[in-house]
Amino acid sequence: VRRHALFLSLLLLGCMDFDGLDEEIVLETHVADWRDQVIYQVMIDRFADGDLANNYLVDVSAPARWHGGDWAGLEARLDYLANLGVTALWISPVYRNVETDADVDGYHGYWPQDFTAANPHFGDVKGLRRLVRAAHDRDMLILIDVVTNHIGQLFFYDVNLNGHADEQVRGSGEQSEVFHINEHDPDFDPRGIQSETSLGESGPAPIVFKHDPATNHMPPEPPVLQFAEAYNRRGRTLDFEQPDQLLHGDFPGGLKDLDTTQCFVKDAMVESYARWIELTDADGFRIDTIKHVEREFWRYFTQKVRQRLAAKGKERFFMFGESFDGRDELVGAYTHNDLPSTEQLERENMCVQDGRAITGDQLDGMFEFPQYYQVFRDVFQYGLSTDRIQQLWTRRATRYGTTPTELGTGIPPIETLVNFMDNHDVPRFLFPSTLEGTPDFEGHHLALLFLLTEQGIPCIYYGTEQRFDGGNDPANREDMWLTGYAEDAPTFTWIQKLTGVRKAHSALRRGQQTVVWATSRTGDEEDAGIFAFERVSDDDYALVVLNTHRGHASSPVFQGVPMVIAQPEGTVLVDALAGGTYTVGAGGALSITLEPLTGALLVPQ
Amino acid sequence: MQRRIRHFLAAAALYLWSSPLGAQPPPEEPPEEPPPEPAPEPRPEEPLVPPPEPKIEPKPEPKPKAPPEKTAAVAKKPEAAGTEEEQPINKGKFTFGSYGRVIAATDLQGRPPRDADIVAHGSRLDHENYVELELRRDDHWFALDADTRFVATLALGHPVFHYDGEFDVRLAVRNLYAEERNIGLEGLSFWAGSRMLRGDDIYLLDFWPLDNLNTLGAGLGYEAKTHTKAHIHVGLGQPNNPFYKQEAERPLPLNQFGTATVAILDRIRWIGSARVEQIIPIGEEGAGLKLAGYGEVHQVPSGQRETAQAGVYQDVPKDDGWVVGGQFGAFLGARDTHVNLFARYARGLAAYGEFAAPTALSLDRTASDAHEILVALGGNFELDRVAVMLGGYFRSFRNASTDLDFGDVDEGIVIARPAVFFTDWLGLAIEGSFQAQQRGVLADAGQEEEETPSANPEPLVARVARLGVVPFVTPAGRGSYSRPIFWFIYVASFRDDGARALYPVNDVFRAREIDHYFGVGAEWWFGSTSYGDDE
Repeated sequence: VRRHALFLSLLLLGCMDFDGLDEEIVLETHVADWRDQVIYQVMIDRFADGDLANNYLVDVSAPARWHGGDWAGLEARLDYLANLGVTALWISPVYRNVETDADVDGYHGYWPQDFTAANPHFGDVKGLRRLVRAAHDRDMLILIDVVTNHIGQLFFYDVNLNGHADEQVRGSGEQSEVFHINEHDPDFDPRGIQSETSLGESGPAPIVFKHDPATNHMPPEPPVLQFAEAYNRRGRTLDFEQPDQLLHGDFPGGLKDLDTTQCFVKDAMVESYARWIELTDADGFRIDTIKHVEREFWRYFTQKVRQRLAAKGKERFFMFGESFDGRDELVGAYTHNDLPSTEQLERENMCVQDGRAITGDQLDGMFEFPQYYQVFRDVFQYGLSTDRIQQLWTRRATRYGTTPTELGTGIPPIETLVNFMDNHDVPRFLFPSTLEGTPDFEGHHLALLFLLTEQGIPCIYYGTEQRFDGGNDPANREDMWLTGYAEDAPTFTWIQKLTGVRKAHSALRRGQQTVVWATSRTGDEEDAGIFAFERVSDDDYALVVLNTHRGHASSPVFQGVPMVIAQPEGTVLVDALAGGTYTVGAGGALSITLEPLTGALLVPQ
Repeated sequence: MQRRIRHFLAAAALYLWSSPLGAQPPPEEPPEEPPPEPAPEPRPEEPLVPPPEPKIEPKPEPKPKAPPEKTAAVAKKPEAAGTEEEQPINKGKFTFGSYGRVIAATDLQGRPPRDADIVAHGSRLDHENYVELELRRDDHWFALDADTRFVATLALGHPVFHYDGEFDVRLAVRNLYAEERNIGLEGLSFWAGSRMLRGDDIYLLDFWPLDNLNTLGAGLGYEAKTHTKAHIHVGLGQPNNPFYKQEAERPLPLNQFGTATVAILDRIRWIGSARVEQIIPIGEEGAGLKLAGYGEVHQVPSGQRETAQAGVYQDVPKDDGWVVGGQFGAFLGARDTHVNLFARYARGLAAYGEFAAPTALSLDRTASDAHEILVALGGNFELDRVAVMLGGYFRSFRNASTDLDFGDVDEGIVIARPAVFFTDWLGLAIEGSFQAQQRGVLADAGQEEEETPSANPEPLVARVARLGVVPFVTPAGRGSYSRPIFWFIYVASFRDDGARALYPVNDVFRAREIDHYFGVGAEWWFGSTSYGDDE
């Protein structure tokens, strides 16, 4: 009977062309060395609208609403990005989100509701598969943004036990204290949110999942996340400096904090996210809100994901994390390979079911927030001294560690830090100067020169090449299609040139990095604002010299002491950007003078 | 049955649309397909969004019909006897006609019955109650030897008062037009008004595969004595959808208090159609062949709509579409035995049907990339005490959006209803059908709700097999089309995992692999232009 049914089905049905996307995905390793990559961060909802069929509840007039971008749109613009010279795309989270909450939409992707379903605003599984395949066809990689810290605002705490969500004000303010109760987002309570009546507290407040399909406030998926035990249930974080609140509090906005020490939560995250790779053959994860999750989770999650994917043919899977914090000792803690105490390790291994014990491996790299603050903001925007760059870099080995993860990229974390000058959570680089009426395009290009030549993996936020200048979220999430994707825009061509030089010189991608000039001087001194560093690989060399001073030309020389580089006397270096030549003097001395906010990228002639 | 025979026999006398008096207008029911998107089904029991149009009813087969005897037969122009004032200027009559279907039914599990088809046009056995009431006036004008017809058809849908106790009714005007024929030229006709325009259907599927228009407009027809008919029409409409109309509140002028409603976008959908039909008689027994060609053009002008930001406007481009199709039929001229093969291709706006608004547009914000391919077959064979009705179609619809999605569908059905007549009025029919549908999505169709979806989803293919047992009584005699018919209907429907996956969580159709339908009811048609009984 079944055979007849299949036969009839074939007779009745046509050949819907899934273009091979209905076949089982075979995982492959598409990257040789992550240091070769240039990442481009795409906020999918804002980049390109390639399919009007998924434009549900779109309102482009409001920055905090859905705007219609999708995976099909990005796929259609891959050539634009290839021409820019980027090689890896970090895309917004792919799972289904809360549609809208308090009149703000989940267009960004950080309000997960169903970790197993594709975000229908962006397309479907086959659309994502096709995007990944199209990127691979262009030797581009795909990094998927993931969230493990929280879910969207999918439940409320039934503090007054009346079964529905309340916002109340109690007390008169005269003889009794006035206080406000918001059952969606109550203040942090280290005991867990308590229910209470007029007679006092009455124990832990139950959580109640909402059922509103219109806004997709539905119980989370996979189903194991519908257990109350999957959450810390302590209310809204008020002080991120308090470890208990940092790790266990709900993220502001009512994003409910998952109890990521629970074995079943760890497994749910591994299962959900490894599956997205198995579905699409994508190449890595960018992981959100790292510092709000225990390190034991990162050990488990990263190791089990790597093991599972490697077993299916996906090696060198790259995972880098975001810790929105300027302290490198904190940010580096998530790549540093060090084992916890024996007791802690025993506890963590209780979650292991495959016999492969937990090691000290965590993430492969981190989003370099400390550098964002201490270099791109302080040096390139505020004009502070360049020696802080040297100080930051000097600490890197200690902070981030030098041990590659097993089954990971095979590269020390300090060499796969993801550098950026701005992103979707901070104002764009040009915002402050534009606000003051004088957009700092020179400084912008100088910062890009630094970004694309320093050690690590550069990450360019979409629209940088079109000189977007938006302020804080959501103003920094502009619609890319308004630019016309112009490839002759001055910053586009500047980045194009930088990525071209980077691609041509292995030293700029894989070379070791040495600071040859940094200064604490920012005034009228001859080297004020100068910063210079070498990149040296086995068969290549590059020297980058920057003048971050805004007022005068500077040179890497002070009180008659010149800059000395690791090149023999007589070596001729050519500026790969401006074209001039420089000859190395006696003892490796090199003389160069740079106009304000300019730089030189010197390579052997 | 007799009528049916006449229909296929008297080829030259056959009237589809607007032929004079004998017009063989299609029965009721607005076009169900192609729907705005693929097939609207499966429908949850409580659709979140009301259907774009009132679900009007089915109809029985295009009524074969001998050309009604012209009223002119009684309208012989009187000799000049007496003064003109003393002569009647016309002879006319009123006619009441009806198509109806009513049934009391259950799913045998305590719930009301429900259409279990997943394809756009499935078995009509489980269609809900529906009736058309037609009032018609025919006049023959002696002076011109011409005929005038006025038709008003009211359609009422389920639920009926005795079902839900609501003293209310779902009512639609399906026909409201006047037609003139034989004025100036014998065989020439024209009409104006609101009208259903339909050709031949596949009764088992309640489906007009080639032509099925509901229109407000006017038409011109001509029927030659060579068994050739031609008809053109132009109509317009404005479906109730933001694709066509957007209203906004604006301050009243001249410093008045209050607001006025202003139509920012207010565009009409124009539809033109043309049909040519040729009957080729074979032999003296009424057998013959039927060839028909059909086409439509659709057009919507450009306009502007206000965006979500008040005062900011967005251009809405013009849109258009077209249909081309044909039909080949053969009939024996006895006992309604016939077969019809249809083929139809629709492009752009026309692929969505006249009442629908495209919901998934191309990047240029038009429906230009949408298309539908349809091939269908219908027929009836009767011999002695046995009859078999057959039907089936394949349909491939692609909406205008760039990617495959749920709105893109390939589907088809084969259906057969053999019947045996124990007596001239008592019989038993068995209806079997198999339908399959593929949507443009990947899915884990067999996945249990509590399981994490797999990493190997497959294209969604849904299948439903249905088997019905229908004992019936036809007091008008034997025949597949003999009406009225009183019947018991039992239908079992078998869904595979793919079919169940089409329904939302908590929908019983998602849970049930087998569904039942049992009811007792009746179906009739008489005296209605919708069914050819137009004398």
